[in-house]
Amino acid sequence: MRIQVNARNRGYEFEARPDERVLHAGLRAGIALPYECATGTCGTCKATLVGGTVADGWAGAPGKKLVKPERREFLMCQCAASADLTLEVDKFVHAAEAGACTPDSCSVVLRAPRQIAPDVMAFSVQLEQPRDFDAGQFVLLAPLAMTGYRAYSMCNFERGARRLDFVVKRKPDGGFSEWLFGANREGERLSMFGPLGSATFDPMLAKNVLCIAGGSGIAGMMSILARAWRERYFERWRGWVFFGVRTMRDTFFLDELSSFQREFPERVQITVALSDEDVPASAARDWPALGFERGLVHEVTERVMTGKYHDVRAYVAGPPPCVDAAIRVLLLKAKLTTNNIRYDKYS
Amino acid sequence: MARRVVCRAADVPENGLKEVEIEGGLKLLVANAGGEFFGFQATCPHQDVPLCEGVFDGSTLTCHMHLWQWDVRTGAPLGLAEAPLQKYSLAVEGDSLYLAGAATALDVGEIFNGIASATLDELAGLARSETFPPGTVLYRPGDAAEDFFVLDAGRVEFLVGRGERTTPGGFMLKKGEVFGWAALLDGYPARIASARCLEESRLLRINGKAALGVLERDPAAGFIVMRRLAALIARYLASSGAQ
Repeated sequence: MRIQVNARNRGYEFEARPDERVLHAGLRAGIALPYECATGTCGTCKATLVGGTVADGWAGAPGKKLVKPERREFLMCQCAASADLTLEVDKFVHAAEAGACTPDSCSVVLRAPRQIAPDVMAFSVQLEQPRDFDAGQFVLLAPLAMTGYRAYSMCNFERGARRLDFVVKRKPDGGFSEWLFGANREGERLSMFGPLGSATFDPMLAKNVLCIAGGSGIAGMMSILARAWRERYFERWRGWVFFGVRTMRDTFFLDELSSFQREFPERVQITVALSDEDVPASAARDWPALGFERGLVHEVTERVMTGKYHDVRAYVAGPPPCVDAAIRVLLLKAKLTTNNIRYDKYS
Repeated sequence: MARRVVCRAADVPENGLKEVEIEGGLKLLVANAGGEFFGFQATCPHQDVPLCEGVFDGSTLTCHMHLWQWDVRTGAPLGLAEAPLQKYSLAVEGDSLYLAGAATALDVGEIFNGIASATLDELAGLARSETFPPGTVLYRPGDAAEDFFVLDAGRVEFLVGRGERTTPGGFMLKKGEVFGWAALLDGYPARIASARCLEESRLLRINGKAALGVLERDPAAGFIVMRRLAALIARYLASSGAQ
C-alpha cells in the first residue's frame, strides 16, 4: 500500500505492509510523523484522510475525543491503510534525525515474569535479532492473542540488545496487565514495535541529570542510569533520582538503585518519596544508600533540589497528574528552560 | 457597536490566568501580569489545549501539554513554540476589562509580531487586502516574486515542480502565516513553487521592495524580521533533505 502524506512543510511517500498502522509504516520509513503515546490516547498523531480508506483498529480509542470524523480525521497509530492513501498532517514533519534508532516490528518471546511489588510485575522479552534503542525509550507490546498495543519503557540499556527488561503496574481493566498477572506467561509470543519516544538520554548531553518518576515511571530512569553508569557519566556530572510510591510495600528496584548510588556516592543522590505513609525507621537501616522522605514526589523534589538546579536536564515519567505537578515545579521553581525538561506521561 | 465587556479585573488573580467567553461567543484567555492585563486566543495553536490550564509565572505563559511558551506582553513564541498567540488588546475602565481590538494578521504573523507599532503601521499601510475564490493560482514557478503574502483567513497550498512532475510543498492555514517571502530576498526574483487557494482565502499582499524600505528605516525591526525569516527558511531547508 502506497501512502502519501502532505505535511505543512512538504510531502512524503512511503509503503505500508498489509494491516500495518499508518504511523508505524511512516516511522519505519524514517519519517518523523507526529506521535506521543502511540497507543490511541493522546491524539497527537491525528491526520486527515484526503483519498483512500483506512481500517480503524480501535473504534473506542480515548484519543478520538480530539478527532472529528465528519472532517475525515483519524489516528495514525490505530488505523491501517485498506487502499493507497493520501493524507494530510497539520504539522511540520521532518525526516528522522541522523543516528536515531529506526523503529520496526518483530515477534518476541516473554521471559522470566516475576512479581516485584504487590501490583508490579517485571519481565523480559527475548529478541531474535539484536536491536538498538536509546536510554529512556519505549516499545509497543501486544500478546499475539490480543489486539491493541501497550507502551512500556525499557529498564535496561545495551547496544545491540537481545533482551529488553520491563516493569508493568497492574491496572484494573488494563488488558495487558490483567493478561500478565492472570497466569504464568513464560515463553508466550508477543508482537513488538519500537523503539519509540524522544525523552532520551545520551552521554553527549554533558549536564547534571535530574530524574523524577512516579511508580512504574522509574523504568525509563533505570535505563538512563544504566547508560550513564556504563559511560562513567557521574564521574563528571551530578545525578538526582526521585522515585515516588505510596508506601514502602510499593517500592521495587531499591537494590539496583542502591548499587548505582554506591558506585558514585559523591555525585548521585537517590530519594524515595512515600506519599501515603511516614517513613518507617527500618527504611534507612535496610537501604543506607538511599534517602527516604514523606510526600508526593514533586513536593519532595522541590524540597531537596532547591538551589541545585544549575546546568540541569530533567527527565519526568509517571501518571499524568504526577508529571504535570513535577513540570510545574521545574518551570516555576527550578526555572528550567523547556528544552531541558523531557517527559513521558503514562495516560 | 457597543464595546464588549470581557470580565472584571478582580476576576483574574495576580500573575494568574482566566478563560472568559464574551458576548458573541469569542473565548479569550486573560493574563494578569503584575496588574497589567493581556488577552489572547483561549486555546494553544498547537493542539487546541485550553491555555488557562497552563503555567504562568507573570511573564512567560507555558502550555502544560507540550511546553510551548509565549511572551505574555507580545504573544511572541519562545522556546519550543512554533507559532505566536493571537493577541487581543484589552482596555481597563473602572473595575472592568473591555475588548479594545484584535491584532491584525500582520501583527499576529510569525515574522512581524512584536516590532515597533509605528513600523507595523507603515507595513500595514503597504498591505492590500484581497480575497480569492477557491482554486485561484496566486503564482507559478518562474513568475516574478514582487509581492509577499500574509494569510488572514483561508487555506493556501504549494506545489514544487512543473507540469506532471510536481510534489506537495506544504500548506498554510494559520492567520498570520507569511508566504511568497522570496520577495523579501535580494537577487531572488522568481517563484520556485506554485501557490493555490484551497478555500476562499483573504490575504494581505505587500510589495517586497517597499517593505524592505520600511525596515531599512527601522533597523531594529529589520533585524528581528530578517532573523525570523532566516529561521523560517531554515525550517523548510531542514525538511528538504529527506527522501
